[in-house]
Amino acid sequence: MSDTKEEPRIGVFVCHCGHNIAGVVDVVSVAEMARDLPNVVFSTDEMFMCSDAGQVLIKEKVKEHNLNRVVVASCSPRMHEPTFRRVVEEVDVNRYLFDQVNLREHVSWCHTREPVKATEKAKDLVRMSVARAAKLENLPIKTVNVLPKTMVVGGGIAGLRSSLDIAERGFDVVLVEKDTQLGGNVAKWTHLFPSDESGAQVIGPLIAAVRKHKRIKIHLNSKVSDFDGYIGNFEVTIKNLSSEKETKVNIGTVIVSTGFEAFKPVGYYSYTKSPNIITLAELQEMPPAQMLIRPSDGKPVKKMVFIGCVGSREPGKIGHEHCSRHCCSATAKAAADLRDDVDESLVLYQDIRTYGKGHEEFHRLARQKHVIYSKFPTDAHPNVEVAADGDIRIRWFDVLAGSELEFHPDLVVLASAMIPPDDMAETAKMFSLTRSGDGFFNPEHIKLAPLTTHTAGVMIAGAAQAAKNASEAVIDASGAAAKAVGLMAQGEVEIESTVSHVISDLCSSCHTCVTACPYGAIIMDEEQTPPVAFVQEAKCKGCGTCAAACPSSAIVMYHSTDEQILTMVEAYLCTTPEPEGGGSA
Amino acid sequence: MTTEPTETTNENEEWEPRIVAYCCNWCSYAGADLAGTSRIQYPTNARILRVNCTGRLSPEFILAALDMGADGVLVSGCHPGDCHYTSGNLKARARWAMMETAIEQAGVDPRRVRLQWASASEAQLFADGVREITEQVKELGPIRSEWK
Repeated sequence: MSDTKEEPRIGVFVCHCGHNIAGVVDVVSVAEMARDLPNVVFSTDEMFMCSDAGQVLIKEKVKEHNLNRVVVASCSPRMHEPTFRRVVEEVDVNRYLFDQVNLREHVSWCHTREPVKATEKAKDLVRMSVARAAKLENLPIKTVNVLPKTMVVGGGIAGLRSSLDIAERGFDVVLVEKDTQLGGNVAKWTHLFPSDESGAQVIGPLIAAVRKHKRIKIHLNSKVSDFDGYIGNFEVTIKNLSSEKETKVNIGTVIVSTGFEAFKPVGYYSYTKSPNIITLAELQEMPPAQMLIRPSDGKPVKKMVFIGCVGSREPGKIGHEHCSRHCCSATAKAAADLRDDVDESLVLYQDIRTYGKGHEEFHRLARQKHVIYSKFPTDAHPNVEVAADGDIRIRWFDVLAGSELEFHPDLVVLASAMIPPDDMAETAKMFSLTRSGDGFFNPEHIKLAPLTTHTAGVMIAGAAQAAKNASEAVIDASGAAAKAVGLMAQGEVEIESTVSHVISDLCSSCHTCVTACPYGAIIMDEEQTPPVAFVQEAKCKGCGTCAAACPSSAIVMYHSTDEQILTMVEAYLCTTPEPEGGGSA
Repeated sequence: MTTEPTETTNENEEWEPRIVAYCCNWCSYAGADLAGTSRIQYPTNARILRVNCTGRLSPEFILAALDMGADGVLVSGCHPGDCHYTSGNLKARARWAMMETAIEQAGVDPRRVRLQWASASEAQLFADGVREITEQVKELGPIRSEWK
């Protein structure tokens, strides 16, 4: 029914959306106007197009009038395009022969007090959509196979959990870790909140289970050196950092769990000016017996100070604007644990955010143990000075007491930010991932798709996505594993048909598109003489940058062709005015 | 409703510019959606065309719109560094300077075209962009007089 070769037979359905659209736009006149447009054989208005009644109406009219194109003028296609695409497919109209006009978000809701002009705009938009619909082409629905193997990049707590989850569901895992041992940051931490276990105690059993699982192949001291292919069919090269030996593997999905790095706060609070000023991460990595021994002279620590938000929550400072989320709770835990062995312990803070399950409880425990919490102003951080004899003097303004205070601690612990590892840019480039202001990877959607990315088949988990604590990283890890398993269990996945295509006869072999493509989806087909550009469809995301860049107009961007775009511009600007308008022709 | 307006056509009545607005699907089109959802009011003059990415837009699309009689053209995409397709908006920006020179040489005031970045959450920024180009183009008058 929806053969593109046929003469277009367009049906137009204008939605009232109750009062949402019809309260401003004269929907009846819009539908009437549409009836007289070229190729339109049916046009009507209806209360709710997305309702069952509306959907049934579309299906009935498609059959009754033998429609092969459908235009629905209603809400944003970002909301209901999938709904209507499904509806038309149920009556054998290809999903790419549907077009939607946004009369609600883009017209009635933003031009509430101008009904006449809003109606005029609505008519223009419908005319544009009808013109586009006539030029739309039937596109095939394509699928590719998904290889039943996942590569997990990063063997910290998130990577370990993902690997084990996937292996336990019967799929193979290749785990790549750049360090010489598994466990990441968690393995190094002594006081892991909220339990009373050390990081090593928590992660030990997980490492053991991963090590002995026969479906998991571990590459230690290794990095991914090449990454090619597309969802379901990636070709990966893993390089051993010492031997430089390269291993090639074919995999179906990827989980990037490359974690974070503890910020070294050079320039903050006299860090590096005294061996007795350390970060919380450095404290955690010390053997417990050494924690309360002053690094400078080996004398016992009797007075200690923790300072919060070091390199975090700094408005205007790129990469340091975010809250690092783990530090308030980690500080409370360490301060409470060490309190019994020192005379005085202070926590200087801007705000306290112990938001997780059980976290507030040990924050309270720290206070009960007489760890002294003192709030300093956001715009006047404590001043830490190291005297010539090594004495550390801290002065700050206590907001709640309203007075200047001074303290001479044996040890200063800076709760420093979580920042991306130094090879983050390299990893981003390798997997075509984007990064947000905090430097961590962007998810596909911050609320609705936090574990998938814009590179189909590549998931992110743990602190690679944002600063977070170990429990949260594990939640991510299981989620990302479920995403990977979902793809592999189905065995095949639908890929977008809205990809670009090179007309080889027109290609002048200039390579412009090859360099323009952000995904490396275009390669030169060397079997042709001269070699011409060729789009690997499964890698193409449909941005159309190549089509815009091609100097020979040899690239067609399916569903967004030059003609499909320009016909809309023409329909808007080059219509003859309606006779009753009375203006110049 | 039976409204049949007489508001547009009389030449001496207030002239309303016609503006073609190319918006990328992921940021600015969604920003325009949010402007609607937030009931932010802005001039009715722009007609939004959805493209996947501003990187899709070769200068021809802007030139063709002006040639067909658009009094102004707005291109609105994701912020640099925030492109759904990694870098399409940067390519759009790189082409923009060339395109501005081209229209200037053709005698068209480059103030008729506007390249802006508005994310999916920046509804007000999007609406302000439409308002600014509409007012700008109103000052410049209809495009017909300008082509050489």
